[in-house]
Amino acid sequence: MSIVYINIFLAFLSLLGILIYRSHLISSLLCLEGMILSLFIIIPVTILNNHLILVSMIPIVLLVFAACKAALGLSLLVIVSNTYGTDYVQNLNLLQC
Amino acid sequence: MNMFASCMITALILLILPIMLSFTKLYKNKLYPQYVKTTTSYAFMITMIPTMMFIYSGQEMIISNWHWITIQTMKLSMSFKLDYFSMIFVPVALFVTWSIMEFSMWYMHSDPYINRFFKYLLMFLITMMILVTANNMFQLFIGWEGVGIMSFLLIGWWYGRTDANTAALQAVLYNRVGDVGFMITMAWFLLNLNTWDFQQIFLTSNNNLDLPLFGLLLAATGKSAQFGLHPWLPSAMEGPTPVSALLHSSTMVVAGVFLLIRFHPLLEQSQTIQTLTLCLGAITTLFTAICALTQNDIKKIVAFSTSSQLGLMIVTIGINQPYLAFLHICTHAFFKAMLFMCSGSIIHSLNDEQDIRKMGGLFKTLPFTTSSLIIGSLALTGMPFLTGFYSKDLIIETANTSNTNAWALLITLVATSLTAAYSTRIMFFTLLGQPRFTPMILINENNPLLINSIKRLLIGSVFAGYVISHSITPTTIPQMTMPHYLKMTALAVTILGFILALELNLTMQGLKFNQPSYYFKFSNLLGYYPIIMHRLTPKTSLTMSQSSASMLLDSIWLESVLPKSISYFQMKSSTLISNQKGLIKLYFLSFMITMLLSLMILNYHG
Repeated sequence: MSIVYINIFLAFLSLLGILIYRSHLISSLLCLEGMILSLFIIIPVTILNNHLILVSMIPIVLLVFAACKAALGLSLLVIVSNTYGTDYVQNLNLLQC
Repeated sequence: MNMFASCMITALILLILPIMLSFTKLYKNKLYPQYVKTTTSYAFMITMIPTMMFIYSGQEMIISNWHWITIQTMKLSMSFKLDYFSMIFVPVALFVTWSIMEFSMWYMHSDPYINRFFKYLLMFLITMMILVTANNMFQLFIGWEGVGIMSFLLIGWWYGRTDANTAALQAVLYNRVGDVGFMITMAWFLLNLNTWDFQQIFLTSNNNLDLPLFGLLLAATGKSAQFGLHPWLPSAMEGPTPVSALLHSSTMVVAGVFLLIRFHPLLEQSQTIQTLTLCLGAITTLFTAICALTQNDIKKIVAFSTSSQLGLMIVTIGINQPYLAFLHICTHAFFKAMLFMCSGSIIHSLNDEQDIRKMGGLFKTLPFTTSSLIIGSLALTGMPFLTGFYSKDLIIETANTSNTNAWALLITLVATSLTAAYSTRIMFFTLLGQPRFTPMILINENNPLLINSIKRLLIGSVFAGYVISHSITPTTIPQMTMPHYLKMTALAVTILGFILALELNLTMQGLKFNQPSYYFKFSNLLGYYPIIMHRLTPKTSLTMSQSSASMLLDSIWLESVLPKSISYFQMKSSTLISNQKGLIKLYFLSFMITMLLSLMILNYHG
């Protein structure tokens, strides 16, 4: 199949991976990265095939936002891991200790 | 006519002579104070000649000596105005100064720098003469600043004492604030009337005069210790008693009133400024009379009494009676200087004790001082046919019968009765009863210097009112007819004050002193005015400048505005609105199921 189809399929699969995970928060983050990667492949292929020159800056913008996203996600992970020792998602409750 | 000018100039030069001779060996002489005193007495006798010529003929004179400078279109020259006000004030001031110099020969005789003291007193007298005889504002300003500087030097005479230095600095600062008003007036006259000469000012002034008159009022507030700029006068009692007698009772503090009197043709035209003057004087006289009621230092009580009488003079100017105010200046000089000299005699005899709670029983031991203190207090309160009566009673009568501010009038009457109250308090505590001072003191008032000086002022306190008011040319017509209750008002409130104070003092004599009430504290701490003004205002401005300099840029704009405010806001709002339980997997699952469902429905629908 063409490359765009595979990447679209991968993007939705990663979205599923973000929304369904068992315990570790980091698996959600990993699937997030995968989604971004697949999106990052789709966009330049589409641009180059259809000769949309003016849109060519979008992948770079996407990359910047992806970096911020990943940094934020990792910092949240670190905070949770600092207080609880692990990144189990069951730990995120309203208990104040 | 020739004698007029030459006598005045002779007297003025005579006063300068000991100052000029201070560079010679005469200054080191032990008899220098004696020379200064006799110089002053000769100057007094010489100035009596022009005064009597003026009273007889009614002719005024302006001596314009030396053309100093012409700036563009304004001509400044040295000129002396010898008119009604200066001709009568100069002999009075010289007489009082002569007595005070003789008194200070006794009071300061153990001071090693007595020659310098007399030189300062004489320099003060010269600058006061310059102020009084000035014909243009520039010369008046020279005299004005001169008396301010000499006041500073004389208040801080015992400069080893911190309180004296603080008081001197306080006097200079408050006078400076008043000088700003003087500057405003001078600048306005320069810009609008192109002159600083009094004659041209009075001729050509017909526009709105509120600003220069307000400047003059501010200058008078600073120099004559009206309410708002008044704390320096009680603090000025740190200086020696002759200084208090000369500067801060008879001569310097009336400079502000004298300035307003000089400009009375302008003051008559502005109703606003007259009302302002009246209310300011009324507030001053009442406030300082209240403060005088609970002071314990005898000099401070007399200082507040001075301040109250100055307020009365300003009230008189406010009801458009400059000549009455001037008469009060002249009569007030006599008994106020004598009151200070009597308190100086008491202080020196009791070995430098100034607290009236530690005096008492001086009635039999200091008979001459006692009688002069009582006569001075009676003259102050306006006992009929003593000196104070001729000016003070006229003022109260005129105020009662004029179309004026009723509140200011009422306050003035209350202050008149309080005058009697604190005078009774002084007499009761210092003279009557059993002695409360330590017994190992030699009380001796038998010095001829002391006795003669007080005797001269005593005769003045009794007779000068009669002599002056029957010798001068009639100026404004006094009110001849009034209802009998208005005529008796001043006397009635004074007697009321006397009786009330005497009753209270006698009744409370043996009782225990209970905790001070709020009214006592208000009166004793001078209405909290010095405490607030000297501390709160500088602290506020310093704190504001410190916070704007160091905190405004760094800690607010760089730190707090975006970073810290965002995080603070987010934390606050998230704790406020969080009612979730953190079931992340559930939320994600529901999101995924919703998406799948929507995709399937859209697929099969389309």
